[in-house]
Amino acid sequence: MEEKRIKVLIAKPGLDGHDRGAKVIALALKEAGMEVIYSGLHKTVDQIVNMAIQEDVDVIGLSIMSGAHIPITKKLMEKLKDMGIQDKKVFVGGVIPSKDIPKLKEMGVEGVFPGGTPIEEAIAAIKASVKK
Amino acid sequence: MAFPDPKELAERIISGDEKVASKVISMLENGEDIAFEVISEIYPGTGGAFRIGVTGPPGAGKSTIIDRIATFYGRGGKKIGVIAIDPTSIKSKGAFFGDRLRLKNAEKIDGIFIRSMAHRGFSGGISKAALGAECVLEALGKEIIIVESVGVGQTELSISFISDIVITVLTPDFGDEIQLMKAGLLDIGDVIVMNKMDLMNAEDKVKDVEGYLKSIRREQPLPVIRTIARTGEGIERLFEVIEECRGKKKEGGREKLRSLIFALAKEELSHEIERIMERDSRIDELLQRVEKRKIDPYSMARSVVQLLLEDGKMEEERWRRRE
Repeated sequence: MEEKRIKVLIAKPGLDGHDRGAKVIALALKEAGMEVIYSGLHKTVDQIVNMAIQEDVDVIGLSIMSGAHIPITKKLMEKLKDMGIQDKKVFVGGVIPSKDIPKLKEMGVEGVFPGGTPIEEAIAAIKASVKK
Repeated sequence: MAFPDPKELAERIISGDEKVASKVISMLENGEDIAFEVISEIYPGTGGAFRIGVTGPPGAGKSTIIDRIATFYGRGGKKIGVIAIDPTSIKSKGAFFGDRLRLKNAEKIDGIFIRSMAHRGFSGGISKAALGAECVLEALGKEIIIVESVGVGQTELSISFISDIVITVLTPDFGDEIQLMKAGLLDIGDVIVMNKMDLMNAEDKVKDVEGYLKSIRREQPLPVIRTIARTGEGIERLFEVIEECRGKKKEGGREKLRSLIFALAKEELSHEIERIMERDSRIDELLQRVEKRKIDPYSMARSVVQLLLEDGKMEEERWRRRE
């Protein structure tokens, strides 16, 4: 039997056009041994959920620099519930004010990584979440 | 999924359940026995889908061409599946799947199923999990299945075992004839595409390739198709050729199947040998004897195979489960 890998979808929802951060984390996760899919820019929540299903990812990482993290995350969490795939762990990163972190966690987000979070911390959190 | 039943999983896939289909493909990648039992269940219903293999060196434009092929068939109302095999970084064992990015138009096709798979360094090439993934996609209802493979080395031999047509995509900056010959890429393609015809010396490269094809092929070789996938130039001709192939009855099936089984069997054997080499205490004794020059490496290798056959592990465990 082959080793099980952790599969992560790094997704860029909505109008946000900045993806350097997303690409940096994607490559870091790859170096850490994970299989990473990058969604590309301007994806809808529906498209992201579709990818998450077809690629059978363990983790969905939303990268949001536009400030729209609350409505987008809410929509995503609802869609995951609709599609019966709440076992996938969700992380949100990007431009996230600390006051919004408790709100996101209440929605069911596993972890929040505002810009500046050390990559090792993100990697450790992702690995830990998959073991649960 | 606690104790899933292969028959049930198969039924769910056939009824169009993408979640289950996707999970089964993951189980195939992980080498889980139950996934192969699901394949056993669904295999009898497969065989009608048209499988297009696309190979070539990195950067040749495979994804762009696949985007166009998928869109062509999608517009015609066909149900489509795409399997994009990216290389696994051997060092860290991670992978970055960037192919989806270049399937911008294909992504929008209604009902398209796109799955990235890591090569994961299977010794038999891509055959093992990719074949199963094709079956799953076909059981889901996909009529056209496109498999994109990494274009280096000998793994290309295996894409031809699981495709009805293989399209090899080259570019003028690939290098000289010797490189092409070494890579063996020209030996397996049914259709050769020279993409990025807007680059310098493109026409010369086409002549080189056509010359090489004439010298190695016994039958009349297909002319090289010239394209600029980025703009769409030449793509219509590619569609024509693919459609011609789809219309024909599948030929040379028995030989391809034989090669596929050989590759799969080698894969199984390779795992068994790995197991013996890791766990059997007799291996260390033998290694010592080789180091002390008491026996030579060839003889030891033959002894390892003997151990395998004598143990009969393969016979007892594996074959019993198959009956």
